[in-house]
Amino acid sequence: MKGIFGRKTGMGIKPQGGRSEHWKSRVLRRRSLAFATAVLLLAGTLAGCGSSKPAATTDKPAAAAAPAKTIKLGGIFDITGATADVGKPYADGAKSYVEYINSKGGVNGAQIKLIDIDYAYKVPQAVEAYKKLVQQEKVVAILGWGTGDTEALKESIAKDKIPYISGSYSENLTDISKAPYNFLGAATYSDQARTTLKWIKDNWKGQGNPKVALLYNDTPFGKSPIEDAKAFAKQIGVDVVDEEVVAVTALDSTSQLLNMDKKKPDYGIIQETWGATATILKDAKKLGIKTKFVGLNWAAGEGVVKLAGDASDGYVGVITHAFAGEKSLPGMKAIEEYLASKNEKLSDKSQKFVQGWVSAQIMLAGVKNAGNNVTGETVRQGLEKLNNLDLGGLAAPVSYKADNHRGTDKVRMGQIKNGKFEMITDYIGH
Amino acid sequence: MTAVQSPFAIGCGDFRVNYTQDMAIYKNVRVRRRVIFLVILFFLFPILAPEYYVSLATMAGIASIGAIGLNILTGFTGQISLGVGAFLGVGGYASALLTTRLGIPFWFALPLSGIFTAGIGALFGIPSLRLKGLYLAMATLAAQVIIYFLFNHWDALTGGTGGLVVQRPSLAGFSLDSEMSYYYLMLVILILTALFTLNLFRSRVGRALVAVRDRDLAAEVMGIDLFKYKIIAFAVSSFFIGVSGSLMGHYTLVITPENYGTQISIEYLAMILIGGLGSVMGSIYGAAFITLLPVVLRELMTAVREVFPNLESIFIGIKEIIFGGIIIIFLIYESEGLAKMWRNLKDYIKLWPFSY
Repeated sequence: MKGIFGRKTGMGIKPQGGRSEHWKSRVLRRRSLAFATAVLLLAGTLAGCGSSKPAATTDKPAAAAAPAKTIKLGGIFDITGATADVGKPYADGAKSYVEYINSKGGVNGAQIKLIDIDYAYKVPQAVEAYKKLVQQEKVVAILGWGTGDTEALKESIAKDKIPYISGSYSENLTDISKAPYNFLGAATYSDQARTTLKWIKDNWKGQGNPKVALLYNDTPFGKSPIEDAKAFAKQIGVDVVDEEVVAVTALDSTSQLLNMDKKKPDYGIIQETWGATATILKDAKKLGIKTKFVGLNWAAGEGVVKLAGDASDGYVGVITHAFAGEKSLPGMKAIEEYLASKNEKLSDKSQKFVQGWVSAQIMLAGVKNAGNNVTGETVRQGLEKLNNLDLGGLAAPVSYKADNHRGTDKVRMGQIKNGKFEMITDYIGH
Repeated sequence: MTAVQSPFAIGCGDFRVNYTQDMAIYKNVRVRRRVIFLVILFFLFPILAPEYYVSLATMAGIASIGAIGLNILTGFTGQISLGVGAFLGVGGYASALLTTRLGIPFWFALPLSGIFTAGIGALFGIPSLRLKGLYLAMATLAAQVIIYFLFNHWDALTGGTGGLVVQRPSLAGFSLDSEMSYYYLMLVILILTALFTLNLFRSRVGRALVAVRDRDLAAEVMGIDLFKYKIIAFAVSSFFIGVSGSLMGHYTLVITPENYGTQISIEYLAMILIGGLGSVMGSIYGAAFITLLPVVLRELMTAVREVFPNLESIFIGIKEIIFGGIIIIFLIYESEGLAKMWRNLKDYIKLWPFSY
């Protein structure tokens, strides 16, 4: 100690010390700035990682304060991905129904909490989201979205016993032995294609068999109904003359349509979402192709009219769920009432909103039947008790049994006239 | 009186006086102790952490194995590959077919699927003798597209878009169903992969690979058989990528083509670029970063949207922008990746407050 002092005073470096002090403080300031940024960054990451923790602790007091308990549902939706055109209104619809039912006192007195995650239509992100919902949030059931991710999750769903209603109506999900906890809210893609083919055959006035082309994308969603459709067409006497692959995000389908036109099909069945459907319709109009197009449920809806304009005139769609414009339906009252409370109008919503709404409605009907002990297994049993569940005309009534999770095989056919879908059949099957 | 040495004081400078020291994996005892400590920490992690975090770690760890594999090829040997996604798939499908169709236990199917992927990788590595840089990238992209097409359309073998269902492996009658058990499986394989790769680059083969990267002509002049070593690089790299694909398949229980698209290849390239080219630890940092960043961003956005519910739709879109932005910022400010940043941080702390 002494030595140090002695040396300092002895050498008399005071003036220099002043300068070095200044230098040091500058360096220190810069250092502390860097340090602060580092701490902030770290805090940010930690907050990010752990933000679900505070959420979990905050809902405990809420649950304790409220007389009833909270039932947690999960949602895995596509809000920013390849199918966001139809995914976003679907997610809105599902969330809205949960809010609506909560405003009506919840299910069996319990409030529903829907924890929704955007997975951007990427399977690995869906797997991660699923793990978060099941392992961390401990949800009892999940509303899902795409075909690829739902099929990728079906093993885990069965293992974890999580009832799962997906936006995907893939035939593969109806196999009870492989997907015992998957429920379908509407007719499967295969059933939709079969009904379309039968409708084509029934309305066919030309000579010989009607000729049909299939237009789809190279994803599990796109390819889901193709084999079943071809088998059924053969059975009832419809010739499938061509198949074209149009990507779900395609902005051009000229080459595929030119190729298809060589076979002169009378009908083209489209398995896409709004964007690619509009692309096909616009290109077909541009090329003067005479083929009549029929789209399965995700290829039908208001969005097609909006995106394709005039080109969509006369286009036929498979309608699984009601349009927001069908105000006469009893089920629409609840949606109108909910939207009024949010200062929104029914005319701003689309059919996919109704579809999301109905999916949540079916799930919560199952939760209601589960009674007071809500677990994955009781919700499954609750869903299996649903017999002709009346959805107020928003969709065909659904029934589930222990050995059948199809729900329904009924759809309506609608045609675009003057920029609006008009129903041309009632609910029909094949 | 001599000054008492602080327990944190470090010898000044890092002097290596012979080749053994130069080649040592651990530069000194302290580093070895730290590594052992870290490994113990990783083994304790699943006991202490909630299940969900264990599953995140497992996914990051499996991606790390693939990233190390890619780094052997791209980071150490300098051969760009855009076919990682497909090679992961080859591993996954090989393992699924071996276990379900042929009934081979997972413990044999795992290395076998790696070896099979190595073969396929070596096959698609043949063009690398004539093609360099962007041209090779295109050739490997072709591999990606071809293999992906097969996954999607060879229904009899791959189950088409429906994919194949696999089971979790079991060890002595105990099925690795829980997150914790699968985490340990991943951890053991990750450690083996890291050790192998660290040691590979202390061997003749490894040095030859680095020579090929640095200047292939010079390497050839020195007597390195370019063709042989490039194929070795493709094979070894694909082996680990195949093992990673097999592990991921048995983790998610379903193998579908959607898991092996081009965007996955790009994601793996992003992992090693962000983590640090030619660095084993960097591969692990990068894989963890790319796996966890979307999760962290999502959680942040969820937190933000609770405060500003009206801006929900905007924030959800912003997530993707931030993801891209962060990657660009990383590449601009530290092109040697997270591995270098970590080194800088260590140096900074070590020398603080007297850095020079």
